[in-house]
Amino acid sequence: MQVRLTQRLTRAAVALTVMGLAGFSAQAETVRVTVAFYSDQTEPYFKKMAEAFEKANPGNTIKIEMVNWDTLQQKLQTDISGGTNADLAIIGTRWLLDFVKDDMAEPLDSYMDPAFKGRFIGTFLAPGQISGKTFGLPIAASARALYYNKETLTKAGFANGPKTWDDVVAASKKIKASGGYGFGLQGKEIETDVYWYYSLWTNGGDVVGKDGKAAFASPAGIKAATLYKSMIDQGLTQPGVTNYSREDVQNLFKQGRVSMVISAPFLAKQIKKEAPTLKYGIAPVPMGTTNATYAVTDSMVMFKNSKAKKTAWKFLDFLFTKEPRVAFTSGEGFLPTTKEEATAPQFADPDTKAFVALLPTARFAPTITGWEDTAKAVSDAMQAVYLGKAKPAEALKAAAREADKALGK
Amino acid sequence: MTRTAFGRPLTPWLLIVPSLALALFIIGYPLYNIVFQSVHEVSRFGLIRDFCGLDNFRKVFADPIFIASLWRTLWWTLGVVGGTVLVSVPVALILHQDFYGRGVARTIVMLPWSVSLTMTAIVWRWAFNDEYGMVNVTLQRLGVIHAPIHWLATSNWAFPVEILVGILVSVPFTVTIFLGGLSSVPGDIYEAARIDGASAWQQFRKLTLPLLRPFINMAIVLNVIYVFNSFPIIWVMTQGGPSNSTHILVTYLYERGFRLGKPGEAAAVSLVMLAMLMGFTALYLRIQPKEGEGT
Repeated sequence: MQVRLTQRLTRAAVALTVMGLAGFSAQAETVRVTVAFYSDQTEPYFKKMAEAFEKANPGNTIKIEMVNWDTLQQKLQTDISGGTNADLAIIGTRWLLDFVKDDMAEPLDSYMDPAFKGRFIGTFLAPGQISGKTFGLPIAASARALYYNKETLTKAGFANGPKTWDDVVAASKKIKASGGYGFGLQGKEIETDVYWYYSLWTNGGDVVGKDGKAAFASPAGIKAATLYKSMIDQGLTQPGVTNYSREDVQNLFKQGRVSMVISAPFLAKQIKKEAPTLKYGIAPVPMGTTNATYAVTDSMVMFKNSKAKKTAWKFLDFLFTKEPRVAFTSGEGFLPTTKEEATAPQFADPDTKAFVALLPTARFAPTITGWEDTAKAVSDAMQAVYLGKAKPAEALKAAAREADKALGK
Repeated sequence: MTRTAFGRPLTPWLLIVPSLALALFIIGYPLYNIVFQSVHEVSRFGLIRDFCGLDNFRKVFADPIFIASLWRTLWWTLGVVGGTVLVSVPVALILHQDFYGRGVARTIVMLPWSVSLTMTAIVWRWAFNDEYGMVNVTLQRLGVIHAPIHWLATSNWAFPVEILVGILVSVPFTVTIFLGGLSSVPGDIYEAARIDGASAWQQFRKLTLPLLRPFINMAIVLNVIYVFNSFPIIWVMTQGGPSNSTHILVTYLYERGFRLGKPGEAAAVSLVMLAMLMGFTALYLRIQPKEGEGT
């Protein structure tokens, strides 16, 4: 009870402050936006958008609060439990369910007309919808593809990149013979699980089944894990994979030391800046029995307790028009989420096109509780497999048991 | 004068009431909040859901990773604090000598202290990188090893490496305490000992060490508290991985609270940690006076 009282007091205090600030004109509203730091472009972009919006809507103020991705969840947690959260926030779409469960996210359907809904590319709007209501708008989207080093892969006989996992193995063997590392395998920190899902999905497996239970401890899962482990054992990956985070593997690729790596569109941007002489190609995630890739969106949500919903919505509406979208998406190296921006010349380059072409086979992280626990259980299991501490079948079974404890609860 | 039921004057109590109240509030409110959270189901974003009794504690204690982290925390604390004291005593003794360039030497030893722990950990993470890390490169150039060692890829290497880094960052503080202690030791007793024919080792065993003892005790208590709670080194270098094999309680707590979205369980872990530290301190306070009587 005490906590609630304190929260209420804090809220009252904040409300008073806001009222004090906005005291002179009743119309004027301040909208606070919590924004995640994607790159050093993010803050200037949002500042510029805020200024443009304030100019068009005199009297209103947009306050941008930048937070690092690593600390975003912590910041939201502190703000929300203290009742001092912003009006709008960027969140990982996978957190949306918790937002909705706690009744903190405002359903946006009543603000959206069909024309607004029509702006979006359908695939990207869907992850922000829970039981038929839209809670999050896709502010950022990306998919994954295989980057390959053109020089070494041409020498190995795969000038257009490997098509299947067998190709990857064959190419890696040749690359190894000439002294390089073939396939870059991530084995540490965030998305270690996802790096294995590529192989799981393309071998016909799934992470969570239709019954809402862990489904990765399947024959496809064992095949996928065995594939990676055998590549490690044959020296076809960089050695010591459990010491390589996503960035570490990407760095090896930029240095030309590994020849293949699966990553997001922003790697192309980084290569152009940091390793402009590197000749790379982009191919779909290698196939086992089927094609698949991983797609991720981040969502912009409105808080239910916001006092400035109207203005906040207006700002959202503005952010999702063509010019602001093009500036954001091309600046950060993401994929277009609205139809209009997709037509812009900035996205006509072969890199973006290669990624967009993969979207029909894309899998999104499902909005279910326990997804993060599953990710952790799978990452731990994979590390044990990569280190040779556990056999694929038993590691996956144990991870599935662990994941089932949290899934759907 | 007003008196309490026990016949003691009330005024002193009244006089310390303001500071006592402030201290109680500053310590009490967060503690209350954590206890409150630990017996409730708390959502990922910090909203209190239902009362759940000791469920959070039960869940945590049923988790083998928690138990493993608990033991590892003891090893971590023992390793870092023990190592630190072992390294710091000779370092302090050397720095206490009067030699040319002592100021520079002292500054170099103190330097790691002035860098934030997180930055130190990041630098060491780079240094221990397999491919381009300074440690592997140096060892290879010297011909000590022929292939790079995967320092942080397995817990066999990663955890000892983290303990070494922990020792490195704790040494400056500990040396400072010891230097303070050494400067309070009068020089003439050594002179007397020398005249009596005591060797350098005897002087160290019979004079320096006993006189330094209260300072060593203080260094142990303070370091245990710091090291037990020390988060950045392990989190930055391995995040408790691979496969949970380098978790200590505080990194486990962070992962529960901020990665897996279970602040309630994290609160329970933090209470367990608090209890452990209080237990240690109480034990230590009991042991200490007995030692004093012995000498």
